[in-house]
Amino acid sequence: MNICPRCGSQHTEQVAASPVAGVWTVHMCSTCIFTWRSTEPEHITNPDKYLPAFKVDQADIPKAAHVPPIPARRV
Amino acid sequence: MAYQDFRDFLNTLEKEGQLLKVEEQVNLEPDISAATRALNNLGDKSPALLFNNINGYEKDQARIAMNVIGSWPNHALMMGMPKNTPLKEQFFEFAHRYDQFPMPVQREETAPFHEVELTENINLFELLPLFRLNQGDGGFYIDKACVISRDQDDPEHFGKQNVGIYRLQVKGKDRLGIQPVPQHDIAVHLRQAEERGQNLPVVIALGCEPVITTAAATPLKYDQSEYEMAGAIQGQPYRIVKAKDADLDIPWGAEVVLEGEILCGEREFEGPFGEFTGHYSGGRSMPVIQINRVYHRQNPIFEHLYIGMPWTETDYMIGVNTSVPLYQQLKEAFPNEVVAVNAMYTHGLVAIISTKRRYGGFAKAVGMRALTTPHGLGYCKVVIVVDEDVDPFNLPQVMWAISTKLHPKHDAVIIPDLSVLPLDPGSDPAGITHKMILDATTPLAPEQRGHYSQPLDSPPGVDQWEKKIINLLNRQQS
Ligand SMILES: [Zn+2]
Repeated sequence: MNICPRCGSQHTEQVAASPVAGVWTVHMCSTCIFTWRSTEPEHITNPDKYLPAFKVDQADIPKAAHVPPIPARRV
Repeated sequence: MAYQDFRDFLNTLEKEGQLLKVEEQVNLEPDISAATRALNNLGDKSPALLFNNINGYEKDQARIAMNVIGSWPNHALMMGMPKNTPLKEQFFEFAHRYDQFPMPVQREETAPFHEVELTENINLFELLPLFRLNQGDGGFYIDKACVISRDQDDPEHFGKQNVGIYRLQVKGKDRLGIQPVPQHDIAVHLRQAEERGQNLPVVIALGCEPVITTAAATPLKYDQSEYEMAGAIQGQPYRIVKAKDADLDIPWGAEVVLEGEILCGEREFEGPFGEFTGHYSGGRSMPVIQINRVYHRQNPIFEHLYIGMPWTETDYMIGVNTSVPLYQQLKEAFPNEVVAVNAMYTHGLVAIISTKRRYGGFAKAVGMRALTTPHGLGYCKVVIVVDEDVDPFNLPQVMWAISTKLHPKHDAVIIPDLSVLPLDPGSDPAGITHKMILDATTPLAPEQRGHYSQPLDSPPGVDQWEKKIINLLNRQQS
């Protein structure tokens, strides 16, 4: 749960745990903002088996288009 | 007749047999999405679903409502009509109430959601039973909440306050991503704030009664108030209450309210998210909302919306309320001819217009007009025009008209390179597409082609019998 299944980043943290203790935990990657629950199937939680079509290359993240674009400051 | 709040509407659904309570224990993934998808596959009269036994919570500690407006009976009940009201009748009633706009609002000082208030240690992942809707989604989304913001250049203008539904990705304990497409009203507000170097205050209301959700999903003009439209639709002033951190108005009956601000100049990786087109969109950087204050009712019900390949709840939610503005705009040009408009297919990417004609070629002109309406600029990729006696909501009838009235050489008109919403996966480049008008009306002089002089008519008394049979069926069911 320490490696992001989607982009492979090690910058992840646990953001929630089930109110009934020990059932599940929720994790988030601060690099690609992927979020997953520990009880989801391996093609969601396991970096080696994550859905190939939805893998994210960390190098692409800064290149993502801005929607909407940031406008110039009005003076 | 107006529903007080979300729970009031759920009670009505239950009384009418349109709420299915799922008592067995379910997992957040994939059970809730799978159950809702399955429900949508079963047809257009589905009930809403209420889950109260969720793995990881004590029973009744978390409750999730799905598919609340996701069928024609539920849509009829939203308008306070009998649940088996035919769709065409729902359309004409909606058009009638739309004409009653604006209905002044009713202001309140307090609301049920004030019961619990938090300004510190906010953790959305603990406050709400969030879950993944579709497998490729980049996270847990909120996709049926009313997002409220004000015009920054004209903040006093009540009508320019916007209530809209936008996809919100939960991106941290007190952070959300938002998708304000440039065509959306909130994008105007955000641009104004960012040009000033300021954050844009927003309020997010979850679990509202269904009329404001419907108004928020209706393509209104920029300066038309969704609250005044909600009042018109429910035939009673809409109740609102002020936010605490900004001059924003909140639906009184909400289950959960988040107050915050869109951070000026910030964009962050977002998505993908399975969209109403039946395809994912994502891999772009979008604005971020910082949440500063949360209120909720005791033991709130989390209302969520499954979105996927049509039809899902989205299509019921934006079917009639997309068709009516297009109908009204066409009526402005052709008041005596246009009969009804069905723009329910993927938010009106396909639209069907029923119209009378004055002379040959007229139906094609009506189709062209649809392309140039405000909604048509982003939708109406295929416009099918049928005669006035064809019910555009009755697809077998529409297919009959295409089967017998349409001559591809004369009646299929393609106009190249027009604008369309960029989410249309077929557009190339994104946002540009050819569009097509299919004229499936009967040729009229000076057009002489075809053999249409002996149309079949109905036996006398069919209309009366239709009403009589509906009444008999109602009596049998009650
Ligand atoms: Zn990641």
